[in-house]
Amino acid sequence: MRTLIFATAIRLLTPLFLLFSVYILFRGHHHPGGGFIGGLICSLAFVFHALAHGSEHTESTYFRLSVCQYKANGKPSQLYYVWSWMQLAIRKNHRNGNHKRFHVIRLRPIYLMAFGLLLAAGSGMVGLILGKPFMTAWWLPLELPVLGSLGTPLLFDTGVFMLVLGMVLKMVFTMKKE
Amino acid sequence: MSAHLLLVLPLLVPLCGAIVCLLFWRLERWQALVSGFTQITWLGSTIFLLKRIITDKAISTQIGSWSAPFGITLVADTFSALVLLAAALVGLAVFLFSVYGLDKSRQRYGYFPLMLFLQVGVGGVCLTGDLFNLYVWFEVILICCFALLSLGGTKPQLEGALKYVTINFIASGLLLTGIGVVYSLFGALNLAELALIVREGTHLNLPLLSMASVFFLTGFGIKAAIFPMFFWLPASYHTSPIAISAFIAGLITKVGIYTLIRLFTLVFITDQTFMMPLMAILSGATMVVGVIGAAAQNDFRRILSFHIISQIGYMLMGLAIYTPLAIAGSIFFIIHNILVKTNLFLVSGVVAQYHRTFQLPRLGGVYLQQPFIALLFFVSALSLAGTPPLSGFWGKFMLAKAGFEAGNYLLVTTSLGVSLVTLFSMTKIWNEVFWKSKPRKPSTSILLTQSDRLRIALLYVPVVFLLCCILAIGVYAGPLIELAMRASQDLLHIETYTDTVLGKAR
Repeated sequence: MRTLIFATAIRLLTPLFLLFSVYILFRGHHHPGGGFIGGLICSLAFVFHALAHGSEHTESTYFRLSVCQYKANGKPSQLYYVWSWMQLAIRKNHRNGNHKRFHVIRLRPIYLMAFGLLLAAGSGMVGLILGKPFMTAWWLPLELPVLGSLGTPLLFDTGVFMLVLGMVLKMVFTMKKE
Repeated sequence: MSAHLLLVLPLLVPLCGAIVCLLFWRLERWQALVSGFTQITWLGSTIFLLKRIITDKAISTQIGSWSAPFGITLVADTFSALVLLAAALVGLAVFLFSVYGLDKSRQRYGYFPLMLFLQVGVGGVCLTGDLFNLYVWFEVILICCFALLSLGGTKPQLEGALKYVTINFIASGLLLTGIGVVYSLFGALNLAELALIVREGTHLNLPLLSMASVFFLTGFGIKAAIFPMFFWLPASYHTSPIAISAFIAGLITKVGIYTLIRLFTLVFITDQTFMMPLMAILSGATMVVGVIGAAAQNDFRRILSFHIISQIGYMLMGLAIYTPLAIAGSIFFIIHNILVKTNLFLVSGVVAQYHRTFQLPRLGGVYLQQPFIALLFFVSALSLAGTPPLSGFWGKFMLAKAGFEAGNYLLVTTSLGVSLVTLFSMTKIWNEVFWKSKPRKPSTSILLTQSDRLRIALLYVPVVFLLCCILAIGVYAGPLIELAMRASQDLLHIETYTDTVLGKAR
């Protein structure tokens, strides 16, 4: 069921959700919040979008990059082919002309999960590299006005954020398909 | 290498492998490549860990530099290093089997990363020094097992996986309750800290310890398939393909028994008069029930599944006798059983690749057609039953000797009788699968192409590899027995463990 009011409201609310989730992520070190809940809120934005517009639309809006590329037919020069590769036009609507080829770059939720895990595991390895136990915190000496201080725990939280986001999106997209 | 790195590597290596496998989603060739590299690295890391343990007895690291009773501790002693090494050997063998022995669709839908996550869980259980952390690692194992058992989604698989996950969730609930009880009684979850509190004997809540221990006995008893709670195991282990069930059957129940031995030598030691007879009864009943259940079965994998239960009884027997020799026997038996049981499952997988069935009445004539696999099965089966020069004998010998020394005659008699029935059961498989002539049915004749034969020939590699390990620890058992003795000494005299975790200052 699609209603106009809901769809319009979601279009306005989605950036708000996303911003709020990042805010929650950053305040999480000393206050309630953090990667897990931030990831849930972030995924909420996409879940609502999928409810309003359908998961197919959500996927194509946020997680798919269609790249259109000119074919090198009739042009013998390899250099020209590379040149046309470099002139990538990023389009949203597919127009299947004869002289064009489309590459669809998809950000699968599973990649989000993998990158999240990688970030979390990698943040722990900083401690190992410094010769201390795994996951020993390491902070940058500077203090930023809004974000607070930066360090490996924040990196870990970001990893959790991405993992949770990927996990929820995977579930939602799979269930929507069935 | 520093202790920090050595202890984290057995967790980090499979974790990183799994992450890279996720990045190669649906590219199963690449996943196999990454997974193989990871398995070899994992094996290497466990060997390094064991080498370090042989010189240093025990090492520990505090994750995130939060000091011991408060943070998460990773600690390895001889026992955990030995189990990890066996797990890594089995992991490599099962991986080698899975590349050509598992269908492409299961490989594509995440077999390799799930397997690696499962290995992270096993590594975590072996290395953690914290009760709650232990529970978390068991959850990791449970979730991965559930996903692996139901991978492919055929009807019997889903049925088996549901049974598995339901009973194991109940076990996890019991464990969580037990952990809550322990924390409310003693205010500590670090195993070393708990061990010291229990041994000091001045804590007011000490009489309630055995009440808490019952939760753990039940919870891990379910996970390890001990007597009254074993029925889920044969119902779920035989449904999934061999590449999955071999690893789970070979390793996961042993992880449960590993934890039981760890906890009941380290923390729950006060009430020997109640707990030890109970354990003896449970272990005897587990042996008998498992082996009787196996006698009634007519499916290759189901017979092997019931034998898992029976052998869990032997491992528990060491804990019930509770002398250094008995626990060393248990440890030896765990290592032996991880290798042998996986190997037998792999053999059944190879046979099924030729004949497309696990049903004993429909199998036959393997000895005539594939004499080499018959030989491989023969040696593994004799090892499982405990024939003298092979590895099963040494474990049973140590357990029986310890039992006689402790005057536990009934239990030893039971175990020896069960051993005989195990031999009978293996003979049954031998007769039905390898010896009798194949029942003639024109509809069931299977033609194998040349590429199929080559593929199956490659499946012999992991079986031969594991058999070499089994023969090595059987014929040249001295070093492993020595290590097992040392591990049991460390389990019974906890000073090394607690000093390593909490620092010498205490």
